[in-house]
Amino acid sequence: MANAARLGNRVDVGLLAGCVVLSLIMVVLKDEDREPIASGLRRSLVAPLVGLQRGAERWRNAWVSSEQYQTTIDSLSLRGANAQAMRSENDQLRKLVGLGSRLEWGFVPAEALHSTAQSEELVTTITLTAGSTAGVKRYSPVVAPEGIVGMIQTADPSMSIAILYTHPDFHASAMSADGAAFGIIYPHSAGVTRGDAYMLEMRGVPTKVTLKPGAAIYTAGLGGVFPRGITIGNVVQELKTSEVWTRTYLVRPAVTPSRINTVLILNAQRVTQGTGNVWGGAAVNADSATRRIAAAGDSIARQAAALEAQARAAVLDSVRRATIDSVRRSLGAFIPQTDTSRATARPTRDSLRPPPDTAKKRP
Amino acid sequence: MARTVIVCAILIVLHYTLRPLLAWRASVDFLIVALLLGAVRMRPGMGALYGFALGLLAGSLDVGGFGAAALGMSLIGFGASWLKAVFFADNLALNGFFLFIAKWLFDLIFLLVGHRAHGAELAMQLFVWSPLSAAVTAVAGVIALSILRPLMEMRTA
Repeated sequence: MANAARLGNRVDVGLLAGCVVLSLIMVVLKDEDREPIASGLRRSLVAPLVGLQRGAERWRNAWVSSEQYQTTIDSLSLRGANAQAMRSENDQLRKLVGLGSRLEWGFVPAEALHSTAQSEELVTTITLTAGSTAGVKRYSPVVAPEGIVGMIQTADPSMSIAILYTHPDFHASAMSADGAAFGIIYPHSAGVTRGDAYMLEMRGVPTKVTLKPGAAIYTAGLGGVFPRGITIGNVVQELKTSEVWTRTYLVRPAVTPSRINTVLILNAQRVTQGTGNVWGGAAVNADSATRRIAAAGDSIARQAAALEAQARAAVLDSVRRATIDSVRRSLGAFIPQTDTSRATARPTRDSLRPPPDTAKKRP
Repeated sequence: MARTVIVCAILIVLHYTLRPLLAWRASVDFLIVALLLGAVRMRPGMGALYGFALGLLAGSLDVGGFGAAALGMSLIGFGASWLKAVFFADNLALNGFFLFIAKWLFDLIFLLVGHRAHGAELAMQLFVWSPLSAAVTAVAGVIALSILRPLMEMRTA
């Protein structure tokens, strides 16, 4: 038994020694000598394992590639979203620049900061980044390229708070594009649902006037807060009310509160002078055209009057000069060759009086 | 014995499928787990031979380490079989410890005999990456032993 165990131990040690020797031989062999052995193993015994390893590495590469593709897609999507936002902002700024160039003067540009309060279902106020130091006052109209936004409620030195047209305190005189219908614009409060939360009502329109859906509504310029001709929105439909002598219309505003980013605040002088045809209403067109024609007529009349006065003065002057000359000639006085174009050479009272000695010589 | 062969075969297949799939810097060496699991059920000489075969298998895919892996695994197989009394102790933590030591010793032999690294790189490999790889191998081996234990115990029952 002990001999068998000893023999077994010797066999074990012998096997270990054999393995070690063979391993060391393979270690000391040159690469070109080892390669045929390794290659033989790879082609025979290890071939299935090599296939498995290749498949696993392929899976791994596919996984990494898909992650990279996903990252690329995500980054492209993000860029696309950013580009869309930038394009939208760019469009808005372009419109605002266009509005500014049309208005030319009498406004203060401001950035609109929306309230982040989640509880507020209906946006009724916005904070603007221009204040009283920039000339903003209470009740200054706030406008956007699309139309009316609201008016200033509080003006601090560096910022101001404006109420939007959705605010219950907001109202403005309004008219149709042809100037046939007048009314007062209020926020649409009755039966407010999610869809028409930002709608307006045009109340007090005379019964005899009917507005068709889609008709454009502009500020009428009455009341002194908003100048005439700022776009308010379009008529959607007539609302049924208990009023008999007046109609009420539902108006879809031209400006969406959530899209307000940059606005213009009109100053008092601009409100007084009006905005002309900046928003392009028909009545405003006619109004501004009439004003322009009247102004042109006035200027022509003024020019004509000035020319007439000038011509009359010139005629009187030449007649006066001719009279003086003839008087002098008749009296035999020396007549210097004066420049007729010199208008400043006016005759004096003394020059008209003949000298005393020459008068004595007369018979 | 057949069940041990199946388990070892599964571990060898995992070495060539799961390891490339994970591609960790400190990777799991399922061949060491398969070697220890098989060697403790053999005589030391057969354990050395088993290790030599596994070493050739591993070295055939890495010509630079051909021979060094066989030497390392022969010694580990022989040692595991010689210390099989310890492995028969049903203690997962102890098995994990021996797996850690076995993997580290294998890397030591493989790197030194195969002249795979020198200087700071060798030190970095031996004292940072090899222990990490040994630890990961030990954890994976313990998990594999826990999962495969029912299959292995059926022989003794």
